[in-house]
Amino acid sequence: MKISLQWLIDYVDLKDISINEIIDKITFAGLEVEEVVVQSDKYNNMVVGLVKEVKKHPNADKLSLCVVSDGESDYSVVCGAQNVAQDQKIAFAKVGSIIPSNGMKLEKVKIRGEVSTGMICSEFELELGDNHEGILVLDEKLKIGTPLADALGADDVILEVAITPNRCDALSHIGIARDLAAIFNRKIKFPEIQINESKKKSEDFAKVFIEDSVNCPRYVGKVVLGVKILESPDWLKKKLKSIGLRPINNVVDVTNFVLHEIGQPLHAFDLDKLHDNKIVVKGANESEKFSTLDSKDRELTSTDLMICDGEKSVAIAGIMGGENSEVTFTTKNILIESAFFNPSSIRRTAKRLGLSTDASYRFERGTDYDITAWAARRAAQLIQMTSGGEILYGEIDAYPNKIEKRKTILRFSRLMKVLGYSIPESTVENILTNLGFEIISKNNEQIELVIPSFRHDIEREIDIIEEVARIYGFEKIPNVQKISVTLEEKVDQSYFCDNLKNAMNSLSFYELVTNSLLNETISEKFGKPIKMLNPQSSEMSHLRTSLLPGMLQAISNNIKVNEKNLRFFEIGKVFELIHEKEIESFEDFKESEILLIAITGYEIQSEWYEKDIASDFFGLKGNVYALLNKSFPSIKFELTYNINHVNYEEAFTIMHNNKIIGYGGKVKMSVANLFDVSQEIFACEINIDELKKIEQPDRKFKDLLKFPKMVRDLAFVLDTEVESDKVIEVIKTASSNLLHQIKLFDIFQSDSLGKDKKSLAFQLEYFDETRTLKEDEVDKDFRNAIKEVEKTFKAQLRGI
Amino acid sequence: MVEKISETRKSFDEALSKVTNPQSLEELRLKFLSKKGIVNQLFEDFKLTSKEEKKLIGQKLNDLKTYTQSKFNEFIQKLEKEYTVKKAASIDLTLPGKQKEIGSKHIITQTLDEIKNIFKGLGFSIYEGPELESDYNNFEALNFPTDHPARDMQDTFFINQNFLLRTHTSPVQIRLMKEKKPPIRAIMPGKVFRNEAVSAKSYCLFHQVEGLYVDTDVTFAELKGTLVAFIKQYFGSEIKYRFRASFFPFTEPSAEMDIWWQPKGKEGRWMEILGCGMVDPNVLINVGIDPEKYVGYAFGMGIERTTMRKYGIDDIRLLFDSDIRFLKQF
Repeated sequence: MKISLQWLIDYVDLKDISINEIIDKITFAGLEVEEVVVQSDKYNNMVVGLVKEVKKHPNADKLSLCVVSDGESDYSVVCGAQNVAQDQKIAFAKVGSIIPSNGMKLEKVKIRGEVSTGMICSEFELELGDNHEGILVLDEKLKIGTPLADALGADDVILEVAITPNRCDALSHIGIARDLAAIFNRKIKFPEIQINESKKKSEDFAKVFIEDSVNCPRYVGKVVLGVKILESPDWLKKKLKSIGLRPINNVVDVTNFVLHEIGQPLHAFDLDKLHDNKIVVKGANESEKFSTLDSKDRELTSTDLMICDGEKSVAIAGIMGGENSEVTFTTKNILIESAFFNPSSIRRTAKRLGLSTDASYRFERGTDYDITAWAARRAAQLIQMTSGGEILYGEIDAYPNKIEKRKTILRFSRLMKVLGYSIPESTVENILTNLGFEIISKNNEQIELVIPSFRHDIEREIDIIEEVARIYGFEKIPNVQKISVTLEEKVDQSYFCDNLKNAMNSLSFYELVTNSLLNETISEKFGKPIKMLNPQSSEMSHLRTSLLPGMLQAISNNIKVNEKNLRFFEIGKVFELIHEKEIESFEDFKESEILLIAITGYEIQSEWYEKDIASDFFGLKGNVYALLNKSFPSIKFELTYNINHVNYEEAFTIMHNNKIIGYGGKVKMSVANLFDVSQEIFACEINIDELKKIEQPDRKFKDLLKFPKMVRDLAFVLDTEVESDKVIEVIKTASSNLLHQIKLFDIFQSDSLGKDKKSLAFQLEYFDETRTLKEDEVDKDFRNAIKEVEKTFKAQLRGI
Repeated sequence: MVEKISETRKSFDEALSKVTNPQSLEELRLKFLSKKGIVNQLFEDFKLTSKEEKKLIGQKLNDLKTYTQSKFNEFIQKLEKEYTVKKAASIDLTLPGKQKEIGSKHIITQTLDEIKNIFKGLGFSIYEGPELESDYNNFEALNFPTDHPARDMQDTFFINQNFLLRTHTSPVQIRLMKEKKPPIRAIMPGKVFRNEAVSAKSYCLFHQVEGLYVDTDVTFAELKGTLVAFIKQYFGSEIKYRFRASFFPFTEPSAEMDIWWQPKGKEGRWMEILGCGMVDPNVLINVGIDPEKYVGYAFGMGIERTTMRKYGIDDIRLLFDSDIRFLKQF
């Protein structure tokens, strides 16, 4: 919201306070000043100039060559405007000035061969109006060389203030002034209204009927007869322009002025266009069509509150008037509306229509129900000032149920308890009185207050505490220097994932954070996705059911910039519908935390010490094993050729007690191709929620082995399809508990072994924790193992 | 015995002079210096000699042991020296080492880690909560009335009328307070969503850290002190800050904390870093905590903007584009 400092000081005396202090203090009090525009800065290097001479430009028909004086020197200026003439006083922008309308910095230039050292500006270029046809001709009485800002009266400072949604009362100059008055402990100056009213009564010229008093608790009307619709006087236009409003005519401008002065939105009806001179406030007819002032047709529903006359709708209450009753240049008699509407009713309608106006913005936050009559009188006064007219006596005040002001108490002890600091009682009282609270009783412990009608955000003691604290100044409440910590068990729910992330880092993986939102096509390929009601775009309309698409997209993006060897992981949430139905409870969908690991390209490429090693299935498996084995030794990998997995071929599942913890393998080409990736990707998804449930083994120290180990090597020739794991299983079963480890250390295939044969070599480690083993007992164990493998797989011992 | 000692010395010298390679050196060590070697054998014999003899030979025997051991050591040192010189000539030690790489956590995770560590030190626990939330936990329970303009402060992705993607980490406050009795002192980091067009300045998701402390003697002054302690640890003790009044439906009084930010060679300005305040009594009532007995404070901060400013990242999309050239920088 734009606030003019010149306008503001009409209501509170701030002459002795610097602009910077004003800005700081209202910002601290919760009215954040986001931008400050010093109007005169706009017109730096610009002065009132005199056109001494106008000649035709020798090389261009439409241009003229002028000599402009700033009182000290003469400047040659090329001008394109038709209305430039000798002896005019004009707005002269010197070299180095910045033209407000386009931000262009003026330099000395040659235009069609003639030097131009400056510019004669138009209204448009100075952002004073829309006229860009000709130059702005200034008052001839102005002194040459006067800074243009002074000549234009551009001496204001405009503040852009961000008003939080609770501060309905601060949406006007008086509203801001009230906070400043409280901050600097001074009184607010309310404009005085002295009007000459005729003997005719407003209520004899118009009638108001409220049919829906819930949504319209109060409606004030005031009649002014015989107005002339004119251009507004300069002072009024200047005020409106200063806060970025476009002057329209005196009546409309006055209603806008009052809105920005006190925050009460007003509407002026052409009284002669109101059938039966009657106002009825009621709900719209279902599917009613209505043309608003902005020449748009709106379709209404029965919950929309309307202002109607004797036969038709004339305005959407609190939002926008209708074309059928608007004030035009032929209007003579007007009815000023100053009402109080139910905020949530206005908000519902404005939101549904997608129509936000200065009026609706205030009504939906809550306006002052007590200021309505004052505002109507203020508007009548200003209309009379600007265009004459006869103000009729009194107001029509439809106010079926008087709203009682709320009361509350403030205990000083509570103020101290919440803030941790004691503010003197007299300061507390001053602050509250200056903010418009009425103190109705007080004692040593507490004060009882009446809450002003413009503070819909205040109801309870805590609201009062906030008012006192923010005006007193948060910076004056000292920071504690010590805190006490309760000695209870601390919880860290992120610890588990933090550990996984650390482990992934030490395995050379980089962490990603990818978008949780995907488009429909992709998300549906990976599961049963949850759809959003109001997506930002069709590219982000569904929640991810898997981290894989985000990962594949990331890999694809990297390959495009020639980064092909990648080791990535992500930990994130995925979402899936449990039933094919609308989500009504947390039981209808599943949100799971997943770890996704992916490798692609080469693990080792172009190194002097090693041949290239491509990322492969075993690279992935090794990393997953390294990640999980230490903490979860009971986890098993199972190959799943028989399961036709959607995303993986050469797939494995990670199992714990027959429960699937995760799966992975080589990403199917058809899946990778969806993301324009043609290189092999190996990925593994682990369900962290399931992983967390697995009980980790007790970490107990085991005695170090005190007796020597005995090692035996052996190699078998086997059929190619025999799996190493199965051989290991058989060796284990055939051996005694002296065998502690089996390691596969060589695989060899050659025609010399026979067709479809391979050789697997194992190293077996024997020991006993309590004694040194004897050669022959190990040999016996070893022979048993050999025999069993030979028998089970028709294997041939190749060497020991 | 005396003769034996001097003979041994002679034969050791002779053997040492004949050593040409590591094997013969090892043979020499085994023969003379090992546990069952000649020298030790002499000590065994020594035990059997008479008292007078012991006096006579003891010193000599010790000398022999010292002599042979030190000669042997000298010889090894000489060999090692020669070996190093020879080796250096045949290997290019300037070749790069066999490559190893430590991956990295995402820069947002790194920032979260830093923040978590600071608050852990201040006695806070860490809790997490779901991203797909109910409207009740995200808004109603946090004192956002239906049909109130406060709801416009956060553009929301709705799943339907009652479910949404959480717009802040504050619903975790609600879950925590419903589950646990005060005192509660915790931070709640996590991902949140806002229905905004993706651009260099905004993304549809970002991360927040929520903080909550509820007990019988919590004050606004303590909130201020705690947050100042936090930013001093995070940004350095020279950091300039200010608190200004603000509005959040779930806290009252509410404040925003700004820090003075001045990148090198640029104009400084106040930058909003977090929102905070005293937990609104309505919120406490909604979770069944007596607001007369208990007072709480809460705060919430966005991670992305702080991170971006700290590291000079000017486009938020870089954080989520997963470009390895970006990731490797942190």
